[in-house]
Amino acid sequence: MSSPLIWARGVVKSFGQTPALRGADVQVTAGEILAVMGPSGSGKSTLLHCLAGIFPPDEGEISFDGQRLDQMDETRRTELRRTAFGFVFQFGQLVPELTAADNVALPLLLGRVRRKAAYQAAGQWLARLGLEDKGDRRTGELSGGEAQRVAVARALAVGPRVLFADEPTGSLDSLTGEKVMDLLTGLAREQGVTMVLVTHDARVAAYADRQVVVRDGRVTALETSGTHGGLR
Amino acid sequence: MIRLGLRLTLHSGREAFTRLLLTTVAVALGVAVLLGVFAEFHAFQADANRSCWECTQGAPVPKALGNSAPRALGSRGELWNYSVDYFEGRTIERLDVAALGPGAPVPPGVSRLPGPGQYVVSPALAALLRTVPAGELGDRFPGLLAGTIGDAALSSPDELAVYVGYQPAALAAVPGTQLVTAIGTAPGPEVFTPFFRYAFGVGVLAVLFPVLILIGTATRLAAARREERFAALRLAGATPRDISVIAAVDSVISALAGTILGIGVFLVARPWLAGAQLTGTRYFSLEVTPTVWGYLAMLVAVPAASAVASLLALRRVRISPLGVSRRTSPPPPSAWRLLTLGIGLVLFVVGLLATTKKSIGTPAYPGLLIVMIGLVIAGPWFTATVARWCAGVLGGPSPLLATRRLEDNPKAAFRAVRGLVLAVFLGTIAGSLIPTIDALSLTPSSAALSGVLLDTFSLPGPNGFGPGLTPQDGATLVSELRGLDGATVYPLYLLPQATDPNYQGQYVGVVSCSMLRDLAVLGRCAPGVQAVQADDSNLTYSDNPHYSTEAFVSPANPGYSGRLAALPLQAVLVRVNGPATLERVRTFLAGHARPQVSTAPGVDPTPPRTFGEAIAIRSSRATVFERLVYFAVALTILVAGCSLAVAIGGGLTDRKRPFTLLRVSGTPVRALYRVLLLEAVLPLAAATLVAAGLAYGMSVLAVTQMAPPGTPVPQLSHVYFVTMGAGLAIALIVIGVTLPLLNRMTGPDHVRFE
Repeated sequence: MSSPLIWARGVVKSFGQTPALRGADVQVTAGEILAVMGPSGSGKSTLLHCLAGIFPPDEGEISFDGQRLDQMDETRRTELRRTAFGFVFQFGQLVPELTAADNVALPLLLGRVRRKAAYQAAGQWLARLGLEDKGDRRTGELSGGEAQRVAVARALAVGPRVLFADEPTGSLDSLTGEKVMDLLTGLAREQGVTMVLVTHDARVAAYADRQVVVRDGRVTALETSGTHGGLR
Repeated sequence: MIRLGLRLTLHSGREAFTRLLLTTVAVALGVAVLLGVFAEFHAFQADANRSCWECTQGAPVPKALGNSAPRALGSRGELWNYSVDYFEGRTIERLDVAALGPGAPVPPGVSRLPGPGQYVVSPALAALLRTVPAGELGDRFPGLLAGTIGDAALSSPDELAVYVGYQPAALAAVPGTQLVTAIGTAPGPEVFTPFFRYAFGVGVLAVLFPVLILIGTATRLAAARREERFAALRLAGATPRDISVIAAVDSVISALAGTILGIGVFLVARPWLAGAQLTGTRYFSLEVTPTVWGYLAMLVAVPAASAVASLLALRRVRISPLGVSRRTSPPPPSAWRLLTLGIGLVLFVVGLLATTKKSIGTPAYPGLLIVMIGLVIAGPWFTATVARWCAGVLGGPSPLLATRRLEDNPKAAFRAVRGLVLAVFLGTIAGSLIPTIDALSLTPSSAALSGVLLDTFSLPGPNGFGPGLTPQDGATLVSELRGLDGATVYPLYLLPQATDPNYQGQYVGVVSCSMLRDLAVLGRCAPGVQAVQADDSNLTYSDNPHYSTEAFVSPANPGYSGRLAALPLQAVLVRVNGPATLERVRTFLAGHARPQVSTAPGVDPTPPRTFGEAIAIRSSRATVFERLVYFAVALTILVAGCSLAVAIGGGLTDRKRPFTLLRVSGTPVRALYRVLLLEAVLPLAAATLVAAGLAYGMSVLAVTQMAPPGTPVPQLSHVYFVTMGAGLAIALIVIGVTLPLLNRMTGPDHVRFE
């Protein structure tokens, strides 16, 4: 078995008096799609946030590609999130005043890619996601599914090594959610992007190579999936 | 529903409380500024409406009454001689008065008239008398100081006034004395009052707009978050009407709290305002206050206006139980918005082309007004254009985010700086035209004579020139003046025939050529000539130093070979070597030179003053106007900065989620700082530059068309740049205060709650 790209050992994270993670262990190998499941309040989103370097853990170790995230300062973690990670959230990640093309080009511009090249790349990603005619639309003028596809394009446009998706279909109907998941996982596999997918929906989790369950702040169950049955 | 609204406003957590606090502070600032403007206007009006005892008119005192005057005049009324004098550039109002009987009317500020040999003075003059040597001031008033004039006679605590008591016979012999039986109680003539009222009107408008915008912006703070809450209430069963009530309650609470706080802030700042001398006059502090109705209007109007603004804001969105949907974005402002501005500019130029030396072309005035209206209409177009231009030029993610937001709703972005455009426009007009107007008076000649005092003894009238001082009196006066240290005296003589009503000659006076050698700017004689006849009427009677200091003698002037000492004395010019000498000369003249009286309506005697003082007096009104406009500009920039800051805070709350998620995705916080700064600075800078550039261009056009040839292009003074720079710096600081909010509101910790 190849060495994990990301691993976490004994991660503890609390918010005030409320513990969210109580010693979570998990590992993700390169190119793998891992679904993190669990009921509401179990700590699955917190685990994703810790793995992505959004939150430093209170205790425990987290590593990405041999670099200890738990020992990095915020500036370095921010840079890592911008250059190596991509994110898709449930909703609201798009800037409302920007067009779809602007939103996709934004992380590239932040990475100092030249304007023309950034918009070219944005156009290509939008085309791959079937949004070639929506590039100049404001996000408020897009449907929920289209907005999520723009978010996927934005997350993948920077060429991330890991894609973190937190309930990416949570605000979509099942049919639209299915299309988004098809695209998301399909592109991730095509690009060789590792993916950590947080969901409480078993049908979404079925798109993953492997599933873990978080319960009471611990990763309590591990099982192999590989059915890719998805929402069908 | 009102109770629910109250509970939601006051007990909805930290974010709602912060919003309430920010709104309250913003409204308080706006209310305090408005109250300050109203208070200053109230003081100005109270002063303008004050009884003008100085305007009292009486009957002429029959001549040659001599010692029989009291009996001939009876025992009703009093003898009254009002004049003005100067001390260190300040005006002294002087009333020489003699009661003719026990029932003589008493002027305001005293309980009885000063007796012969007594005088009473205003507190400010009393303070000067205590510190200034008598030879420079006190000796102008014969007798003993017997009391103080009360506030009722004064327009300002700094006013210098004196009532001097005389025996009737003595005062009757003084030229200009009148018989008065009733003291005037009507307000004074409105010579400059309409001017200042207009200036105040402009100032109030310039300040009012941004303050109302600030209040409006503040009450709509974080509208999107609030609207989400309203959607949740709709889901819970609230009707649209219920939502309106809750929104109105929310706005009224913060506006009312802000109004009360604003009144408190104003009351704390009132003593400072009373001493600020915005119109060049320090008003009595009791008058620097809005009326009771002003306070009540604030307490009612501001919350009511906030409620209306809040309800109007609700109309822009559709709040359903399933969430909030915004009405479609308005189309971008079209270039048609420039039409009004263009019409105004054309009218202004047409007016200037029709301008003569005597009057400004009629279309120029509406042209100026329409340009100001046009600027406000064209503002969103300018904002969108500048945003588009910057998006193309600047590149990078921060300009992209900022300019897209500005382009998305340029009206909202411009709203915060709309008042600023008017204030900067007026400020630039004032800042470029007023120094030019002043410079027209301050010619090299007037500058050369700035330390030279003029006292005139013969005024023109329908029956020729007044007689001036007799040769004997004139010689004595000149001789005694020359005895004062630091004073160099130049007599100007009167041609005897000029006092003849039928005199048609070109020349009025006679001047010695030795005087012209010392005061070369006034001209020169032909070689070998001792004295010349000259038309010196501009020098002695014009109150505009631009003309009064023009050369009036050339070698072509006919010589005068008679004995100068045998001529009546028309005037004296006295060069002084410092302020103390100037006041000693003036004090001497007050006691020894016969006062002049008006010889015809509009021909009023001018007290002895230097040409430098004449320039200062002429420019003081313009300076006050300039100061008022600058004050309005500084205030407006500050208020606009606050509006922008509030708008930024609101916009930040509305975009908390996307900004937080951008940060989570690795966007450095400094990139988002730049977004906020650009969103604030771009409209601020664009509005300032467009308004200033247009106003300066129009000023240059006006000067080119109206000023004499050779007048330099208007230069903006350092005061202008300091005012603008300080205002913008303070506005940026206020905006900068909001930036830490970004770090706190969009920190990665917040992603957990998104």
